[in-house]
Amino acid sequence: MPNNEKNKPRKAAKPSKPVKRRASEGPQTLIIPQISPEMLESARRAASEGKSAQEIEQAALEADARRKAEQAAQQPPEPRPAEQPAAPKSEKRHRKTRDEAEEELSQRVHDDHLWLNNPLIMRGLGLAPVVVAAYDLKNAWMLCVAAILLLTTTRLLAVAICHLTGNRFRPVIYVYSAAILYIPAYCLLYYWFGADLTLLGIYLPLLAVEPVIIKRMENPDLETLGEAFRRGINNTVGFCIAVLLVGVLREFLGQGSFFGNAVLSQAPLPLAGEPAGGFILLGVIAALWTGVANAYVRYKEEEVQHIYVERRR
Amino acid sequence: MWNAAAELSVFEAVLHFFTYAVMAVFAENIVFTHGLGVSQLFRLVETRDIRTLHHCLPVLLVQLLSAPLVWMARVWLTPWLRNELPDFLPIAALRPVVYLSCATIAMAVVWVLFHLFGRHAVPYLEQLPLATYNCCVLGTILICVNQNFNLLETVAFSLGSGIGYLFAVLVVDEGRRRLRSKDVPGIFTGMPISLIYIGILALAIYGLVGHSISN
Repeated sequence: MPNNEKNKPRKAAKPSKPVKRRASEGPQTLIIPQISPEMLESARRAASEGKSAQEIEQAALEADARRKAEQAAQQPPEPRPAEQPAAPKSEKRHRKTRDEAEEELSQRVHDDHLWLNNPLIMRGLGLAPVVVAAYDLKNAWMLCVAAILLLTTTRLLAVAICHLTGNRFRPVIYVYSAAILYIPAYCLLYYWFGADLTLLGIYLPLLAVEPVIIKRMENPDLETLGEAFRRGINNTVGFCIAVLLVGVLREFLGQGSFFGNAVLSQAPLPLAGEPAGGFILLGVIAALWTGVANAYVRYKEEEVQHIYVERRR
Repeated sequence: MWNAAAELSVFEAVLHFFTYAVMAVFAENIVFTHGLGVSQLFRLVETRDIRTLHHCLPVLLVQLLSAPLVWMARVWLTPWLRNELPDFLPIAALRPVVYLSCATIAMAVVWVLFHLFGRHAVPYLEQLPLATYNCCVLGTILICVNQNFNLLETVAFSLGSGIGYLFAVLVVDEGRRRLRSKDVPGIFTGMPISLIYIGILALAIYGLVGHSISN
């Protein structure tokens, strides 16, 4: 019986449905919007006690307020902002799809400016000073220091100005950022290396327009300062590793020495000291580097494939 | 410098101009001898949607128009600046700013010139900033400054250098097309084989003329 009685009002408990009151003076319609079963029950009870329309409505609202208070008491407390790091746990549990894993791998390869996507060896940026001027370790070291002073700072300054100009006049901003930062960089380099800087000839001021420093100007997407800093540091480290490697090899092959100290009585390949030899040697280094990098990327790709084939089984 | 050039007969001046221009195209080719603009060259060769002329014509025009500005900056502005600068700041530190400004002014003139040709010049205008700030433009300017070329020689060398860059792009493009053979080992395809190819071409030029201008 109680169940039957409960079911009856449920049928009438659709939102915005009128509740009929059967009083002695005749039926009267009371409209209570968003009515819940508790409100309906309370309204029925009040109506059966012969209360007025206002009292019925009041009783229904009180019942609704009680229900909300009970619900609030039963609900667990809302997570505080400090507890938000719990979210990555659930993300960790989420298994990546094969496409997502492959995309993540390709992104990692793209972001690895040290080995897999080296700016000099793999992308061919900053070739001119390396091929012509970095014929020994001393010159390579000077180029390396110049790149450390210019590369990240230029990128940061240019990105900051681009944010102010709404990403307009990008080429001019990047090039003039490099040219202006070249002034203090040159003063520092002159202080450290003195007249030896002239050994770099035109290739030191040329850094202001070297693609390894201003390549980003071709990309219309405006990066944040944090991204610019991270990528700038990555590119700097990658470029420096490659320049020093080329410098060591060219000095050894072209002069048979290491940092000015004779190692061999005769240079094994004097051509390596010339720009033509620099091109050929860099081509061979790039080929070997590409071979190792491609083999590593293929290995990682196969690893991803194996993981997903086993998961499917 | 200008007076010395003016004293030459017209024929001698033309010959002098022609000699420097030809030297810049072949003997002192900006790509094969100085290794400048190679990164942009690879981009041009690899990207099919940019035509060689769309990039090289702006390079040529900017180099040609910036040559007199560079000569004026070297002869008049640099000595004045050297006297005005404080002791701790060497004039060499300002070289990129000064000479890039010459290139930027030339770029503005070329931009106006291209605009006269309407929509036909749009691909050239798109490439104009990248062409202006190409290594070979500033490299040519710095070579002219380092070698103390006079006005005639500066203009001739800049013109020849622009033509030499176009010549290098065409030669590398053709070489790259032929080097897509299956006989080339996988690890050499792309940039490595192109670098070796440029190195061999540079060797050929060395064998032909040797070194005449040192950096």
